Amino acid sequence: MIQFEGVTKTYQSGKQEIHALNGIDLTVETGEIFGVIGFSGAGKSSLIRTVNLLERPSSGHVLIDGKDISTLSAREIRKTRKDIGMIFQHFNLLNSKTVFHNVAMPLILANTPKNKIKEQVKELLDFVGLSDQATKYPDQLSGGQKQRIGIARALATNPSVLLCDEATSALDPQTTQSILELLRRINREYNITILLITHEMGVIREICDKVAVLEAGKVIEQGTVFDVFTNPQQQTTQRFVRSVMNDELPESLLKQIQNPSRKNSIYRIQFTGTSVGQPLMSRISRKYQLDLNVLFGNITELQGAPYGNLIVEFTGPAEEIKKALADIREGNVNVEEVLNYAS
Amino acid sequence: MLVDNEQILEALWETLYMTGVAFLFSLIIGFILGLLLVVTRKGHLLENEPVSKVLNVIINIFRSVPFIILMVAIIPLTRIIVGTSIGTAAAIVPLVFYAGPYIARLIENSLLEVDEGVIEAAQAMGASPFQIVFRFLIPEALSSLVLALTIAIVGLIGASAMAGAIGGGGLGDLAITYGYQRFDTLVMVVTVAILVVLVQGVQSGGNLLSRRVRRR
Ligand SMILES: Nc1ncnc2c1ncn2[C@@H]1O[C@H](COP(=O)(O)OP(=O)(O)OP(=O)(O)O)[C@@H](O)[C@H]1O
Ligand SMILES: [Mg+2]
Repeated sequence: MIQFEGVTKTYQSGKQEIHALNGIDLTVETGEIFGVIGFSGAGKSSLIRTVNLLERPSSGHVLIDGKDISTLSAREIRKTRKDIGMIFQHFNLLNSKTVFHNVAMPLILANTPKNKIKEQVKELLDFVGLSDQATKYPDQLSGGQKQRIGIARALATNPSVLLCDEATSALDPQTTQSILELLRRINREYNITILLITHEMGVIREICDKVAVLEAGKVIEQGTVFDVFTNPQQQTTQRFVRSVMNDELPESLLKQIQNPSRKNSIYRIQFTGTSVGQPLMSRISRKYQLDLNVLFGNITELQGAPYGNLIVEFTGPAEEIKKALADIREGNVNVEEVLNYAS
Repeated sequence: MLVDNEQILEALWETLYMTGVAFLFSLIIGFILGLLLVVTRKGHLLENEPVSKVLNVIINIFRSVPFIILMVAIIPLTRIIVGTSIGTAAAIVPLVFYAGPYIARLIENSLLEVDEGVIEAAQAMGASPFQIVFRFLIPEALSSLVLALTIAIVGLIGASAMAGAIGGGGLGDLAITYGYQRFDTLVMVVTVAILVVLVQGVQSGGNLLSRRVRRR
Protein backbone atom coordinates (compact mmCIF):
# COMPACT_ATOMS: atom_id res chain seq x y z
CA MET A 1 0.00 0.00 0.00
CA ILE A 2 1.26 3.45 -0.93
CA GLN A 3 -0.03 6.45 0.98
CA PHE A 4 0.57 10.08 0.19
CA GLU A 5 -0.07 12.33 3.15
CA GLY A 6 -0.07 16.05 2.49
CA VAL A 7 2.78 15.73 0.01
CA THR A 8 4.08 18.97 -1.42
CA LYS A 9 6.95 19.62 -3.78
CA THR A 10 8.41 23.02 -4.46
CA TYR A 11 11.14 23.53 -7.03
CA GLN A 12 13.51 26.42 -6.89
CA SER A 13 14.02 27.76 -10.37
CA GLY A 14 16.35 30.73 -10.04
CA LYS A 15 14.55 33.17 -7.76
CA GLN A 16 11.19 31.67 -8.64
CA GLU A 17 9.44 28.99 -6.63
CA ILE A 18 7.42 26.44 -8.56
CA HIS A 19 4.80 24.64 -6.52
CA ALA A 20 4.54 21.36 -8.42
CA LEU A 21 2.59 19.50 -5.72
CA ASN A 22 0.26 21.26 -3.30
CA GLY A 23 -0.79 18.80 -0.62
CA ILE A 24 -1.49 15.40 -2.14
CA ASP A 25 -3.52 12.88 -0.18
CA LEU A 26 -3.93 9.56 -1.94
CA THR A 27 -4.01 5.90 -1.04
CA VAL A 28 -3.03 3.18 -3.48
CA GLU A 29 -4.18 -0.19 -2.20
CA THR A 30 -2.05 -3.29 -2.61
CA GLY A 31 -2.76 -5.16 -5.82
CA GLU A 32 -4.65 -2.44 -7.64
CA ILE A 33 -3.83 -0.49 -10.75
CA PHE A 34 -4.03 3.15 -9.84
CA GLY A 35 -3.90 5.80 -12.53
CA VAL A 36 -3.09 9.47 -12.14
CA ILE A 37 -4.12 11.67 -15.03
CA GLY A 38 -3.47 15.32 -15.64
CA PHE A 39 -2.46 17.80 -18.28
CA SER A 40 1.15 18.66 -18.93
CA GLY A 41 2.72 20.38 -15.94
CA ALA A 42 0.05 19.17 -13.53
CA GLY A 43 2.74 17.54 -11.39
CA LYS A 44 2.30 13.89 -12.38
CA SER A 45 5.99 13.09 -12.78
CA SER A 46 6.82 14.92 -9.58
CA LEU A 47 4.20 12.85 -7.80
CA ILE A 48 5.27 9.43 -9.03
CA ARG A 49 8.93 10.23 -8.42
CA THR A 50 8.32 10.87 -4.73
CA VAL A 51 7.43 7.19 -4.34
CA ASN A 52 10.99 5.99 -4.94
CA LEU A 53 12.51 9.25 -3.76
CA LEU A 54 13.87 10.26 -7.12
CA GLU A 55 12.27 13.43 -5.86
CA ARG A 56 12.11 14.23 -2.17
CA PRO A 57 8.81 15.76 -1.00
CA SER A 58 9.26 19.30 0.32
CA SER A 59 6.78 18.42 3.05
CA GLY A 60 4.37 15.64 3.85
CA HIS A 61 4.97 11.92 3.83
CA VAL A 62 4.95 9.02 1.45
CA LEU A 63 4.31 5.75 3.26
CA ILE A 64 4.98 2.40 1.70
CA ASP A 65 3.32 -0.38 3.64
CA GLY A 66 3.10 2.05 6.51
CA LYS A 67 6.75 3.04 6.49
CA ASP A 68 7.74 6.64 5.86
CA ILE A 69 10.44 6.34 3.21
CA SER A 70 11.90 9.81 3.68
CA THR A 71 13.26 8.76 7.08
CA LEU A 72 15.34 5.94 5.59
CA SER A 73 19.11 6.01 5.24
CA ALA A 74 20.71 6.05 1.79
CA ARG A 75 21.37 2.32 2.04
CA GLU A 76 17.80 1.55 3.11
CA ILE A 77 16.47 3.73 0.30
CA ARG A 78 18.45 1.68 -2.22
CA LYS A 79 17.02 -1.49 -0.70
CA THR A 80 13.49 -0.12 -0.88
CA ARG A 81 14.01 0.91 -4.49
CA LYS A 82 14.77 -2.69 -5.38
CA ASP A 83 11.25 -3.48 -4.31
CA ILE A 84 9.82 -0.75 -6.55
CA GLY A 85 10.21 -1.25 -10.29
CA MET A 86 9.95 1.72 -12.59
CA ILE A 87 9.43 2.14 -16.31
CA PHE A 88 9.79 5.33 -18.28
CA GLN A 89 8.36 7.15 -21.26
CA HIS A 90 11.70 7.05 -23.06
CA PHE A 91 12.64 3.59 -21.76
CA ASN A 92 16.06 4.72 -20.45
CA LEU A 93 17.91 1.60 -21.54
CA LEU A 94 21.68 1.32 -21.85
CA ASN A 95 22.43 1.66 -25.54
CA SER A 96 25.92 0.24 -25.13
CA LYS A 97 24.60 -3.05 -23.73
CA THR A 98 22.65 -5.93 -25.18
CA VAL A 99 19.05 -6.65 -24.34
CA PHE A 100 20.26 -9.47 -22.14
CA HIS A 101 22.66 -7.22 -20.25
CA ASN A 102 20.01 -4.52 -19.81
CA VAL A 103 17.57 -6.92 -18.22
CA ALA A 104 20.35 -8.50 -16.17
CA MET A 105 21.49 -5.14 -14.78
CA PRO A 106 19.47 -5.11 -11.56
CA LEU A 107 20.66 -8.67 -10.86
CA ILE A 108 24.29 -7.75 -11.58
CA LEU A 109 23.96 -4.87 -9.12
CA ALA A 110 22.76 -7.34 -6.51
CA ASN A 111 25.73 -9.65 -7.16
CA THR A 112 23.54 -12.51 -8.31
CA PRO A 113 25.54 -15.57 -9.47
CA LYS A 114 26.03 -15.74 -13.25
CA ASN A 115 24.08 -18.92 -13.91
CA LYS A 116 21.19 -17.63 -11.87
CA ILE A 117 21.20 -14.37 -13.85
CA LYS A 118 21.07 -16.34 -17.09
CA GLU A 119 18.13 -18.35 -15.90
CA GLN A 120 16.17 -15.38 -14.60
CA VAL A 121 16.79 -13.16 -17.61
CA LYS A 122 15.62 -15.92 -19.89
CA GLU A 123 12.44 -16.24 -17.86
CA LEU A 124 11.85 -12.48 -17.91
CA LEU A 125 12.43 -12.23 -21.65
CA ASP A 126 10.03 -15.11 -22.15
CA PHE A 127 7.44 -13.34 -20.08
CA VAL A 128 7.61 -10.16 -22.14
CA GLY A 129 7.80 -12.16 -25.35
CA LEU A 130 11.29 -11.18 -26.47
CA SER A 131 13.36 -14.29 -25.82
CA ASP A 132 14.67 -14.18 -29.39
CA GLN A 133 16.09 -10.66 -29.04
CA ALA A 134 18.54 -11.25 -26.21
CA THR A 135 21.68 -10.48 -28.22
CA LYS A 136 20.29 -7.37 -29.91
CA TYR A 137 21.00 -3.81 -28.87
CA PRO A 138 18.24 -1.38 -27.85
CA ASP A 139 18.63 0.79 -30.96
CA GLN A 140 17.80 -2.26 -33.09
CA LEU A 141 14.38 -2.57 -31.45
CA SER A 142 11.02 -0.85 -31.90
CA GLY A 143 9.54 1.38 -29.24
CA GLY A 144 7.19 -1.31 -28.04
CA GLN A 145 10.01 -3.83 -27.80
CA LYS A 146 12.13 -1.34 -25.88
CA GLN A 147 9.35 -0.81 -23.39
CA ARG A 148 9.06 -4.57 -22.97
CA ILE A 149 12.76 -4.66 -22.16
CA GLY A 150 12.17 -1.84 -19.69
CA ILE A 151 9.39 -3.86 -18.12
CA ALA A 152 11.50 -7.03 -17.95
CA ARG A 153 14.28 -5.02 -16.31
CA ALA A 154 11.87 -3.50 -13.81
CA LEU A 155 10.58 -6.95 -12.87
CA ALA A 156 14.04 -8.47 -12.43
CA THR A 157 14.20 -7.73 -8.72
CA ASN A 158 10.72 -9.14 -8.07
CA PRO A 159 9.24 -5.83 -6.96
CA SER A 160 5.87 -5.52 -5.25
CA VAL A 161 5.19 -2.14 -6.83
CA LEU A 162 5.60 -0.97 -10.41
CA LEU A 163 5.73 2.74 -11.24
CA CYS A 164 4.93 3.73 -14.82
CA ASP A 165 5.84 7.25 -15.86
CA GLU A 166 3.96 7.80 -19.14
CA ALA A 167 5.00 4.31 -20.18
CA THR A 168 2.96 4.31 -23.37
CA SER A 169 3.09 7.98 -24.35
CA ALA A 170 5.83 7.43 -26.93
CA LEU A 171 4.02 4.49 -28.54
CA ASP A 172 1.41 4.15 -31.26
CA PRO A 173 -2.14 3.09 -30.28
CA GLN A 174 -1.68 -0.55 -31.22
CA THR A 175 1.60 -0.92 -29.36
CA THR A 176 0.07 0.94 -26.44
CA GLN A 177 -2.66 -1.69 -26.30
CA SER A 178 -0.18 -4.54 -26.16
CA ILE A 179 1.91 -2.87 -23.47
CA LEU A 180 -1.21 -2.20 -21.41
CA GLU A 181 -2.20 -5.83 -21.74
CA LEU A 182 1.25 -6.81 -20.51
CA LEU A 183 0.89 -4.47 -17.52
CA ARG A 184 -2.45 -5.99 -16.69
CA ARG A 185 -0.94 -9.47 -16.83
CA ILE A 186 1.82 -8.35 -14.46
CA ASN A 187 -0.80 -7.02 -12.09
CA ARG A 188 -2.93 -10.18 -12.22
CA GLU A 189 -0.25 -12.86 -12.35
CA TYR A 190 2.24 -11.42 -9.87
CA ASN A 191 -0.17 -9.29 -7.85
CA ILE A 192 2.08 -6.29 -8.35
CA THR A 193 0.59 -2.95 -7.39
CA ILE A 194 0.82 -0.55 -10.32
CA LEU A 195 0.88 3.22 -10.04
CA LEU A 196 0.83 4.82 -13.44
CA ILE A 197 0.65 8.38 -14.66
CA THR A 198 -0.59 9.42 -18.04
CA HIS A 199 -2.25 12.22 -19.92
CA GLU A 200 -4.31 9.76 -21.96
CA MET A 201 -7.72 8.91 -20.58
CA GLY A 202 -7.73 5.82 -22.84
CA VAL A 203 -4.97 4.29 -20.74
CA ILE A 204 -6.97 4.86 -17.57
CA ARG A 205 -10.10 3.39 -19.11
CA GLU A 206 -8.20 0.38 -20.39
CA ILE A 207 -6.49 -0.94 -17.28
CA CYS A 208 -6.96 1.16 -14.14
CA ASP A 209 -9.11 0.24 -11.18
CA LYS A 210 -8.94 3.69 -9.65
CA VAL A 211 -8.07 7.08 -10.95
CA ALA A 212 -7.08 10.43 -9.53
CA VAL A 213 -7.20 13.61 -11.55
CA LEU A 214 -4.34 15.98 -10.92
CA GLU A 215 -4.50 19.67 -11.66
CA ALA A 216 -2.01 22.33 -10.61
CA GLY A 217 -0.48 19.98 -8.06
CA LYS A 218 -3.79 19.06 -6.43
CA VAL A 219 -6.01 16.01 -6.65
CA ILE A 220 -9.26 17.51 -7.86
CA GLU A 221 -11.18 14.26 -8.18
CA GLN A 222 -10.63 10.60 -7.46
CA GLY A 223 -12.53 7.37 -7.28
CA THR A 224 -13.08 4.11 -9.10
CA VAL A 225 -12.67 4.36 -12.83
CA PHE A 226 -16.33 3.49 -13.23
CA ASP A 227 -17.57 6.25 -10.97
CA VAL A 228 -15.29 8.88 -12.39
CA PHE A 229 -16.11 7.97 -15.97
CA THR A 230 -19.83 7.73 -15.52
CA ASN A 231 -20.18 10.71 -13.26
CA PRO A 232 -17.31 13.16 -13.58
CA GLN A 233 -17.69 16.15 -11.29
CA GLN A 234 -14.94 18.58 -12.21
CA GLN A 235 -14.67 20.32 -15.52
CA THR A 236 -11.17 18.99 -16.18
CA THR A 237 -12.36 15.48 -15.44
CA GLN A 238 -15.28 15.94 -17.79
CA ARG A 239 -12.91 17.03 -20.51
CA PHE A 240 -10.77 13.95 -20.01
CA VAL A 241 -13.77 11.64 -19.95
CA ARG A 242 -15.21 13.22 -23.06
CA SER A 243 -11.89 12.71 -24.85
CA VAL A 244 -12.51 8.97 -24.90
CA MET A 245 -16.18 8.41 -24.19
CA ASN A 246 -17.61 10.29 -27.14
CA ASP A 247 -20.93 10.81 -25.40
CA GLU A 248 -21.52 14.31 -26.60
CA LEU A 249 -25.07 14.87 -27.72
CA PRO A 250 -25.74 16.06 -31.23
CA GLU A 251 -26.58 19.73 -31.64
CA SER A 252 -30.18 19.11 -32.74
CA LEU A 253 -30.81 16.95 -29.70
CA LEU A 254 -29.45 19.60 -27.40
CA LYS A 255 -31.84 22.13 -28.91
CA GLN A 256 -34.71 19.73 -28.36
CA ILE A 257 -33.78 19.17 -24.73
CA GLN A 258 -33.31 22.83 -24.05
CA ASN A 259 -36.54 23.85 -25.78
CA PRO A 260 -38.59 25.63 -23.06
CA SER A 261 -41.91 24.50 -24.49
CA ARG A 262 -40.98 20.82 -24.30
CA LYS A 263 -43.66 18.74 -22.58
CA ASN A 264 -42.18 15.28 -22.25
CA SER A 265 -39.51 14.37 -19.75
CA ILE A 266 -36.12 13.31 -21.02
CA TYR A 267 -33.93 11.01 -18.99
CA ARG A 268 -30.37 9.84 -19.16
CA ILE A 269 -30.03 6.14 -18.48
CA GLN A 270 -26.60 4.69 -17.75
CA PHE A 271 -26.06 0.95 -17.58
CA THR A 272 -23.31 -1.64 -17.75
CA GLY A 273 -23.35 -4.98 -19.50
CA THR A 274 -24.65 -5.67 -22.99
CA SER A 275 -27.73 -7.51 -21.94
CA VAL A 276 -29.13 -4.65 -19.93
CA GLY A 277 -30.04 -1.83 -22.28
CA GLN A 278 -32.34 -3.02 -25.01
CA PRO A 279 -34.40 -5.60 -23.06
CA LEU A 280 -34.87 -3.11 -20.27
CA MET A 281 -36.34 -0.52 -22.61
CA SER A 282 -38.85 -2.84 -24.17
CA ARG A 283 -39.82 -4.39 -20.85
CA ILE A 284 -40.45 -1.01 -19.23
CA SER A 285 -42.31 0.21 -22.25
CA ARG A 286 -44.64 -2.80 -22.22
CA LYS A 287 -45.10 -3.00 -18.48
CA TYR A 288 -46.03 0.65 -17.93
CA GLN A 289 -47.63 1.32 -21.30
CA LEU A 290 -45.17 4.12 -22.01
CA ASP A 291 -43.82 5.46 -25.22
CA LEU A 292 -40.04 5.36 -24.99
CA ASN A 293 -38.17 7.25 -27.62
CA VAL A 294 -34.42 6.73 -27.61
CA LEU A 295 -32.99 10.05 -28.78
CA PHE A 296 -29.35 9.13 -28.42
CA GLY A 297 -27.35 6.15 -27.34
CA ASN A 298 -23.86 4.79 -27.29
CA ILE A 299 -21.91 2.00 -25.74
CA THR A 300 -18.26 2.15 -24.75
CA GLU A 301 -16.09 -0.31 -22.96
CA LEU A 302 -15.16 0.50 -19.40
CA GLN A 303 -12.89 -1.75 -17.36
CA GLY A 304 -13.58 -4.59 -19.72
CA ALA A 305 -17.35 -4.30 -19.49
CA PRO A 306 -19.63 -2.46 -21.89
CA TYR A 307 -21.04 0.76 -20.54
CA GLY A 308 -24.13 2.23 -22.13
CA ASN A 309 -25.52 5.71 -22.13
CA LEU A 310 -29.03 6.39 -23.43
CA ILE A 311 -30.99 9.59 -23.69
CA VAL A 312 -34.66 8.60 -23.67
CA GLU A 313 -37.85 10.59 -24.01
CA PHE A 314 -40.70 9.23 -21.87
CA THR A 315 -44.26 9.83 -23.03
CA GLY A 316 -47.22 8.74 -20.89
CA PRO A 317 -49.05 9.38 -17.62
CA ALA A 318 -46.78 10.97 -15.01
CA GLU A 319 -47.79 8.36 -12.45
CA GLU A 320 -46.66 5.50 -14.67
CA ILE A 321 -43.39 7.24 -15.54
CA LYS A 322 -42.62 7.58 -11.87
CA LYS A 323 -43.22 3.88 -11.33
CA ALA A 324 -41.17 3.00 -14.36
CA LEU A 325 -38.22 5.05 -13.13
CA ALA A 326 -38.34 3.37 -9.74
CA ASP A 327 -38.38 0.02 -11.52
CA ILE A 328 -35.37 0.91 -13.64
CA ARG A 329 -33.43 2.00 -10.59
CA GLU A 330 -34.00 -1.43 -9.05
CA GLY A 331 -31.37 -2.90 -11.35
CA ASN A 332 -27.83 -1.57 -11.43
CA VAL A 333 -28.99 1.23 -13.67
CA ASN A 334 -28.68 4.93 -13.14
CA VAL A 335 -31.45 7.25 -14.29
CA GLU A 336 -31.56 10.97 -14.06
CA GLU A 337 -33.70 13.58 -15.65
CA VAL A 338 -31.95 15.72 -18.19
CA LEU A 339 -33.24 19.22 -17.71
CA ASN A 340 -30.48 21.15 -19.21
CA TYR A 341 -27.74 19.14 -20.72
CA ALA A 342 -24.86 21.52 -20.39
CA SER A 343 -21.86 20.56 -22.41
CA MET B 1 70.87 16.45 -43.66
CA LEU B 2 72.59 17.46 -40.45
CA VAL B 3 71.20 14.55 -38.47
CA ASP B 4 71.41 10.79 -38.97
CA ASN B 5 68.72 8.16 -38.71
CA GLU B 6 69.72 7.25 -35.22
CA GLN B 7 69.13 10.79 -34.00
CA ILE B 8 65.70 10.80 -35.62
CA LEU B 9 64.80 7.47 -34.06
CA GLU B 10 65.93 8.68 -30.68
CA ALA B 11 63.87 11.84 -31.04
CA LEU B 12 60.87 9.77 -32.02
CA TRP B 13 61.38 7.59 -28.98
CA GLU B 14 61.63 10.66 -26.74
CA THR B 15 58.39 12.02 -28.17
CA LEU B 16 56.63 8.72 -27.65
CA TYR B 17 58.01 8.39 -24.16
CA MET B 18 57.06 11.90 -23.09
CA THR B 19 53.63 11.66 -24.62
CA GLY B 20 52.96 8.18 -23.29
CA VAL B 21 54.03 8.75 -19.71
CA ALA B 22 52.44 12.18 -19.57
CA PHE B 23 49.23 10.75 -20.96
CA LEU B 24 49.08 8.03 -18.34
CA PHE B 25 49.48 10.46 -15.46
CA SER B 26 47.16 13.05 -16.97
CA LEU B 27 44.58 10.38 -17.58
CA ILE B 28 44.57 9.39 -13.93
CA ILE B 29 44.37 12.99 -12.75
CA GLY B 30 41.96 14.03 -15.49
CA PHE B 31 39.70 11.08 -14.85
CA ILE B 32 39.40 11.79 -11.16
CA LEU B 33 38.88 15.52 -11.69
CA GLY B 34 36.48 15.02 -14.60
CA LEU B 35 34.40 12.55 -12.65
CA LEU B 36 34.32 14.89 -9.66
CA LEU B 37 33.31 17.78 -11.92
CA VAL B 38 30.32 15.77 -13.09
CA VAL B 39 29.07 14.19 -9.88
CA THR B 40 29.41 17.32 -7.76
CA ARG B 41 27.30 19.32 -10.19
CA LYS B 42 23.96 20.69 -9.12
CA GLY B 43 21.38 17.94 -9.07
CA HIS B 44 23.92 15.20 -9.71
CA LEU B 45 24.86 12.11 -7.70
CA LEU B 46 27.01 13.79 -5.07
CA GLU B 47 26.01 17.42 -5.46
CA ASN B 48 28.54 19.61 -3.68
CA GLU B 49 28.71 23.25 -4.63
CA PRO B 50 31.96 24.24 -2.82
CA VAL B 51 33.93 21.32 -4.30
CA SER B 52 32.48 21.95 -7.72
CA LYS B 53 33.32 25.67 -7.63
CA VAL B 54 36.89 25.17 -6.40
CA LEU B 55 37.58 22.48 -9.00
CA ASN B 56 36.26 24.64 -11.77
CA VAL B 57 38.40 27.60 -10.79
CA ILE B 58 41.58 25.53 -10.48
CA ILE B 59 41.04 23.79 -13.78
CA ASN B 60 40.26 27.03 -15.54
CA ILE B 61 43.46 28.60 -14.22
CA PHE B 62 45.60 25.77 -15.58
CA ARG B 63 43.68 25.73 -18.83
CA SER B 64 44.29 29.42 -19.40
CA VAL B 65 48.09 29.33 -19.10
CA PRO B 66 49.84 28.66 -22.43
CA PHE B 67 51.99 25.55 -22.27
CA ILE B 68 55.26 27.31 -22.99
CA ILE B 69 54.67 29.60 -20.00
CA LEU B 70 53.37 26.81 -17.78
CA MET B 71 56.56 24.89 -18.46
CA VAL B 72 58.73 27.69 -17.14
CA ALA B 73 56.37 28.73 -14.37
CA ILE B 74 56.37 25.37 -12.63
CA ILE B 75 60.09 24.73 -12.86
CA PRO B 76 60.51 24.79 -9.03
CA LEU B 77 57.79 22.21 -8.71
CA THR B 78 59.34 20.10 -11.44
CA ARG B 79 62.60 20.16 -9.56
CA ILE B 80 60.89 18.90 -6.42
CA ILE B 81 59.12 16.11 -8.27
CA VAL B 82 61.83 14.71 -10.57
CA GLY B 83 64.94 16.22 -9.01
CA THR B 84 65.89 18.23 -12.08
CA SER B 85 64.29 20.84 -14.28
CA ILE B 86 66.00 19.75 -17.48
CA GLY B 87 65.53 16.71 -19.71
CA THR B 88 62.83 14.41 -20.92
CA ALA B 89 61.60 13.39 -17.47
CA ALA B 90 61.43 17.03 -16.43
CA ALA B 91 59.32 17.82 -19.48
CA ILE B 92 56.72 15.27 -18.42
CA VAL B 93 55.74 17.27 -15.33
CA PRO B 94 54.48 20.37 -17.13
CA LEU B 95 52.89 18.13 -19.75
CA VAL B 96 50.84 16.48 -17.03
CA PHE B 97 49.84 19.84 -15.58
CA TYR B 98 48.84 20.88 -19.04
CA ALA B 99 46.95 17.77 -20.13
CA GLY B 100 45.41 16.74 -16.78
CA PRO B 101 42.96 19.63 -16.54
CA TYR B 102 42.33 19.41 -20.28
CA ILE B 103 41.43 15.73 -20.01
CA ALA B 104 39.26 16.53 -16.98
CA ARG B 105 37.19 18.86 -19.15
CA LEU B 106 37.01 16.35 -21.99
CA ILE B 107 35.87 13.59 -19.65
CA GLU B 108 33.36 15.93 -18.01
CA ASN B 109 31.93 16.66 -21.44
CA SER B 110 31.65 13.02 -22.44
CA LEU B 111 30.02 11.97 -19.20
CA LEU B 112 27.52 14.81 -19.41
CA GLU B 113 26.40 13.53 -22.79
CA VAL B 114 24.95 10.43 -21.16
CA ASP B 115 21.16 10.61 -21.09
CA GLU B 116 19.93 11.70 -17.67
CA GLY B 117 17.20 9.10 -17.99
CA VAL B 118 19.78 6.34 -17.80
CA ILE B 119 21.07 7.67 -14.50
CA GLU B 120 17.51 7.96 -13.29
CA ALA B 121 16.80 4.36 -14.23
CA ALA B 122 19.96 3.33 -12.39
CA GLN B 123 18.86 5.19 -9.27
CA ALA B 124 15.38 3.72 -9.53
CA MET B 125 16.80 0.20 -9.52
CA GLY B 126 18.70 0.95 -6.33
CA ALA B 127 22.23 1.38 -7.72
CA SER B 128 24.81 3.02 -5.45
CA PRO B 129 26.67 6.11 -6.71
CA PHE B 130 29.73 3.92 -7.33
CA GLN B 131 27.67 1.45 -9.35
CA ILE B 132 26.00 4.24 -11.27
CA VAL B 133 29.38 5.64 -12.32
CA PHE B 134 31.03 2.38 -13.25
CA ARG B 135 28.07 0.33 -14.47
CA PHE B 136 26.05 3.00 -16.24
CA LEU B 137 27.79 6.32 -16.76
CA ILE B 138 31.18 5.14 -18.02
CA PRO B 139 29.98 2.25 -20.21
CA GLU B 140 27.44 4.54 -21.85
CA ALA B 141 30.06 7.25 -22.41
CA LEU B 142 32.92 4.93 -23.33
CA SER B 143 32.81 5.45 -27.06
CA SER B 144 32.77 9.21 -26.68
CA LEU B 145 35.45 9.00 -23.96
CA VAL B 146 37.80 7.18 -26.33
CA LEU B 147 37.40 9.89 -28.95
CA ALA B 148 37.96 12.59 -26.37
CA LEU B 149 41.14 10.93 -25.12
CA THR B 150 42.34 10.60 -28.70
CA ILE B 151 42.09 14.37 -28.97
CA ALA B 152 44.04 14.67 -25.75
CA ILE B 153 46.85 12.44 -27.05
CA VAL B 154 47.14 14.47 -30.23
CA GLY B 155 47.26 17.60 -28.10
CA LEU B 156 50.01 16.06 -25.98
CA ILE B 157 52.11 15.17 -29.03
CA GLY B 158 51.84 18.79 -30.10
CA ALA B 159 52.73 20.12 -26.66
CA SER B 160 55.65 17.75 -26.29
CA ALA B 161 57.24 19.38 -29.33
CA MET B 162 57.78 22.43 -27.17
CA ALA B 163 59.56 20.44 -24.52
CA GLY B 164 62.81 21.16 -26.33
CA ALA B 165 62.76 24.52 -24.63
CA ILE B 166 63.76 22.82 -21.39
CA GLY B 167 65.91 20.18 -23.01
CA GLY B 168 63.18 17.63 -23.26
CA GLY B 169 64.25 16.43 -26.66
CA GLY B 170 61.84 14.81 -29.07
CA LEU B 171 60.88 15.43 -32.67
CA GLY B 172 59.83 19.01 -32.07
CA ASP B 173 63.19 19.82 -30.56
CA LEU B 174 64.93 18.27 -33.54
CA ALA B 175 62.86 20.27 -35.98
CA ILE B 176 63.57 23.53 -34.19
CA THR B 177 67.29 23.05 -33.61
CA TYR B 178 68.21 21.66 -36.99
CA GLY B 179 65.35 22.48 -39.28
CA TYR B 180 64.67 26.02 -38.14
CA GLN B 181 67.79 27.38 -36.46
CA ARG B 182 70.23 25.71 -38.86
CA PHE B 183 68.09 25.97 -41.95
CA ASP B 184 68.08 22.24 -42.70
CA THR B 185 64.82 22.01 -44.56
CA LEU B 186 65.08 18.27 -44.97
CA VAL B 187 65.17 17.67 -41.21
CA MET B 188 62.16 19.91 -40.90
CA VAL B 189 60.28 18.00 -43.57
CA VAL B 190 61.19 14.60 -42.16
CA THR B 191 60.21 15.40 -38.58
CA VAL B 192 56.98 17.03 -39.64
CA ALA B 193 56.21 14.01 -41.80
CA ILE B 194 56.80 11.68 -38.87
CA LEU B 195 54.56 13.81 -36.65
CA VAL B 196 51.84 13.80 -39.29
CA VAL B 197 51.98 10.02 -39.57
CA LEU B 198 51.98 9.72 -35.79
CA VAL B 199 48.91 11.91 -35.37
CA GLN B 200 47.11 10.16 -38.21
CA GLY B 201 47.87 6.81 -36.63
CA VAL B 202 46.64 7.88 -33.21
CA GLN B 203 43.45 9.36 -34.67
CA SER B 204 42.65 6.29 -36.76
CA GLY B 205 43.36 4.04 -33.82
CA GLY B 206 41.10 6.15 -31.64
CA ASN B 207 38.30 6.09 -34.18
CA LEU B 208 38.55 2.35 -34.53
CA LEU B 209 38.61 1.72 -30.80
CA SER B 210 35.72 4.10 -30.26
CA ARG B 211 33.62 2.15 -32.74
CA ARG B 212 34.64 -1.13 -31.12
CA VAL B 213 33.57 -0.09 -27.62
CA ARG B 214 30.29 1.48 -28.68
CA ARG B 215 28.63 -1.88 -28.19
CA ARG B 216 29.95 -4.50 -25.90
N1 LIG C 1 13.59 19.84 -11.61
C1 LIG C 1 12.69 20.83 -11.75
N2 LIG C 1 13.06 22.11 -11.52
C2 LIG C 1 12.15 23.11 -11.64
N3 LIG C 1 10.88 22.94 -11.97
C3 LIG C 1 10.45 21.70 -12.22
C4 LIG C 1 11.33 20.57 -12.13
N4 LIG C 1 10.63 19.45 -12.42
C5 LIG C 1 9.38 19.87 -12.69
N5 LIG C 1 9.26 21.21 -12.57
C6 LIG C 1 8.03 21.99 -12.75
O1 LIG C 1 7.03 21.45 -11.92
C7 LIG C 1 5.78 21.42 -12.58
C8 LIG C 1 5.25 20.02 -12.61
O2 LIG C 1 6.12 19.21 -13.40
P1 LIG C 1 5.89 17.68 -13.68
O3 LIG C 1 7.02 17.22 -14.52
O4 LIG C 1 5.66 16.98 -12.40
O5 LIG C 1 4.55 17.70 -14.52
P2 LIG C 1 3.88 16.56 -15.40
O6 LIG C 1 2.46 16.51 -14.98
O7 LIG C 1 4.67 15.32 -15.30
O8 LIG C 1 3.97 17.15 -16.85
P3 LIG C 1 4.26 16.42 -18.23
O9 LIG C 1 3.00 15.75 -18.64
O10 LIG C 1 4.62 17.55 -19.13
O11 LIG C 1 5.40 15.47 -18.01
C9 LIG C 1 6.01 22.03 -13.95
O12 LIG C 1 5.63 23.39 -13.89
C10 LIG C 1 7.48 21.89 -14.15
O13 LIG C 1 7.96 22.93 -14.96
MG1 LIG D 1 5.88 14.14 -16.69
